[in-house]
Amino acid sequence: MLSFIIKRIGLAAVITALAVTALFLIIHMIPGDPVSTMLGPRATPEMRTALEERMGLDRPLIVQIALFFGNMLRGDLGMDVFSNRPVTQIVLGQVPYTLGLILVSISWAAVLGVALGCYSAVNRNSLGDRLTGVLSVSVIAVPAFVVALYSLLVFAVKLQWFPAIGAGEAGNLGDQLHHLVLPSLAIGLSWVGYIARLVRASMLEVLGEGHIRTARAFGLPEGRVVFGYALRLAILPTVTVIGVGMGFLLSAAVFTEIVFSRPGLGKLVIDSITTRNYPVVMGSVLFSTLIFVVSTTLADIINAILDPRIRAGK
Amino acid sequence: MNRPTIAWTRVGLPRRSFLKGATALGGLATTGLMLPRAAHAAGGTLKTRTYADIRSMDPAFSQGVVDEEIQAAIYNKLIQYKPGREWGWELDAAAMVEQADDTHINFALRDDIGFTNGFGAMTAEDVKFSFERIIDDALESTNKPDWGPLDHVEVTGERTGTIVLKNAFQPLWSITLPYIAGNIVSKAAFESVGGKIDTQPVATSGPYLHAGWEPKQKTTLKRNPDWKGEAVAFDEIQIFHIDDEKAAEIAFEAGEIDFTRVSLDSVERLKSNPIQGATLDEYPSLYYVWVGMNLDNPKLANLKLRQAIQYAIDVPSIMAAAYFGAAEPSTGIIAPGLPGHRDASLTGVNADLEKAQALMAESGESGVSLAIDILNKSANVTAAQIIQANLAAIGITLEIRLHEGATFWELGSNEDLELVLNRFSMTPDPYYATSWFIAEQAGIWNWERFRNDEFDAIHLAAQSEADQAKRAEMYARAQDLMEESGAYKFLTHEATPVIYRNSVIPALRPDGLPLYRYFGAA
Repeated sequence: MLSFIIKRIGLAAVITALAVTALFLIIHMIPGDPVSTMLGPRATPEMRTALEERMGLDRPLIVQIALFFGNMLRGDLGMDVFSNRPVTQIVLGQVPYTLGLILVSISWAAVLGVALGCYSAVNRNSLGDRLTGVLSVSVIAVPAFVVALYSLLVFAVKLQWFPAIGAGEAGNLGDQLHHLVLPSLAIGLSWVGYIARLVRASMLEVLGEGHIRTARAFGLPEGRVVFGYALRLAILPTVTVIGVGMGFLLSAAVFTEIVFSRPGLGKLVIDSITTRNYPVVMGSVLFSTLIFVVSTTLADIINAILDPRIRAGK
Repeated sequence: MNRPTIAWTRVGLPRRSFLKGATALGGLATTGLMLPRAAHAAGGTLKTRTYADIRSMDPAFSQGVVDEEIQAAIYNKLIQYKPGREWGWELDAAAMVEQADDTHINFALRDDIGFTNGFGAMTAEDVKFSFERIIDDALESTNKPDWGPLDHVEVTGERTGTIVLKNAFQPLWSITLPYIAGNIVSKAAFESVGGKIDTQPVATSGPYLHAGWEPKQKTTLKRNPDWKGEAVAFDEIQIFHIDDEKAAEIAFEAGEIDFTRVSLDSVERLKSNPIQGATLDEYPSLYYVWVGMNLDNPKLANLKLRQAIQYAIDVPSIMAAAYFGAAEPSTGIIAPGLPGHRDASLTGVNADLEKAQALMAESGESGVSLAIDILNKSANVTAAQIIQANLAAIGITLEIRLHEGATFWELGSNEDLELVLNRFSMTPDPYYATSWFIAEQAGIWNWERFRNDEFDAIHLAAQSEADQAKRAEMYARAQDLMEESGAYKFLTHEATPVIYRNSVIPALRPDGLPLYRYFGAA
């Protein structure tokens, strides 16, 4: 198991390095001058030159990449030229908002999706199964930003049950959770349907396997058969999909953060790309990539824990 | 196929469970978690909105209204903008300020203003430090041009001094002293942190204190208990960062903010379906929008062709379609209410197709194909499409090229630029507007590469002209020169519609921007 984990972490490091290098090149190749954006229209040529030097933009691209990785390994992602604050501090200040949003969204979606999937599989072809099927496909088809806008209009504007903007008072967990309800509904809703369909299909396959029939033949309680044996195997594709789906969740978080005016990595990336704030773009991208890579690696490890065949490489 | 029955999978909602659930929801509501929100202003907290996050709390490095909205509340200036529909100023930290002659401005500070965090009373040394640091080359302040010909500040007493200029500078009263560069900071406080600050003020003196900044979320101001000036209305002001105007409108309708600018396309809806307990007000804006033509591009070298384009563009159609009738056509780069505003442009606002076609014929050009570069905003796209149709009527094919922000603002250096739909921000002095169109700015911010000696001379002379009528004439002439070059078709100054709860008495500049220190509660 240990060698499996080491291999996965090594692979994750390589993926991170490649992704960050590619994004570094892309952001430096697109037109737009960060110095003009940062200094505004009244900067003198001397000020522009000085800032270019401070940002290292006067150096060849390959040197800039090497410097970025060198500094990154020391935990230094540079300074935000606008506010003169360390990029690491800026990005770390936003990560909890995005991570919290994603985790809450996927958690409630997973709990409900798995429950509905199990229900549908166990009650195959019943009215409840068919209703669940229709509802699942319906919510899969609705994009997160549509859910966000309609939930805002209904629950924030009309009923005024939930807040429309922001992430809540710092240090007030209840308020922060209250602010999470609508954004996590927007992101999680389509995942409920997706997970429900996935779990149903996997469960139906597993419930028909020999060891499940054997368990039933031994007279084990149905709940134990379904949750103890069938679900443990049926959940594997769902874990993988959630891990890989972290990229989609991050994209959905970008829209949601903008619609709900929430702080977070998505909003930070958009703002910094618009202003060509290279240090902050790279810092944000690095952390977004890390979230994605860590989640897929964790999914691999969880799968390996749940299914010994995976860690044995079979 | 096995179809085992598991009790929990049965969908059912017995009456008792329903009642239990309903009671729980009611409980949530009574604890406030799901209660409809009421307006907040009456409770002592003003909740408002800004379209971008702050960049700097250092007046030497602030770049615009977003920072200044906060700085005007936490710092003091000798004079502040006066809220209302007409531009003017009133005393703030100064008990007296007077123009002794063209180059000397005497001032005396009030004796009841102190800095926070134990940095003592505000003195003339603080004024000297605040103003002189901005013109110090070593600091590299981008706001140095606001101080124009400042030579130095002479300290004549603990709270008295004289601002000494190298030459007369009229914008001092309209865009220097009452705006960003006029903020007075504590010399001792700034020196204690190395001479400059970023987003965290080290000492303030205004009626509100900077109580916190949550990046990408909000800035909180709190009543300064040591403020001896006129009492402010709110215990706290929360300024939320909401970049999208539509999101801000939803937040307002949801009762979460008390004041916000709204989008032009929402004005009609908000007029026909007013929000209960709220007031919509429309203010003119200072921004100016125009179609520019690159004079250095051989395709636009023909004056008659450029004039044909000027006459072919129908501004009222653009106002109706792109600005939803909420903005007025402009006559130049100087907005109404400022010296130099022209009552009418030379080429008019309505398209004169007959004249445009005659000019096309005179130009001898045929089969003309041009491109217009625009920023990717919906109003620009609509405006460009109308211009495209207008020019098609005189036989010109126009390609629309969209750009995102950072790419668009780099186009000035592109020598092959043809037409551009442009929009510049503005401060309340005509000097600020003409400064971008002098020959020195060609290829930098003067994208049309308009070069005119008379224009440059007017720009230089008008900044020192004390006779306001004469100054206005000079700036009107400057705009005539721009238009006569055939390189400009002026479109609009846009508008600033704002909405606020009736529990709030807003204090706004004539262009609709908020002056939070003067906001009141109804």
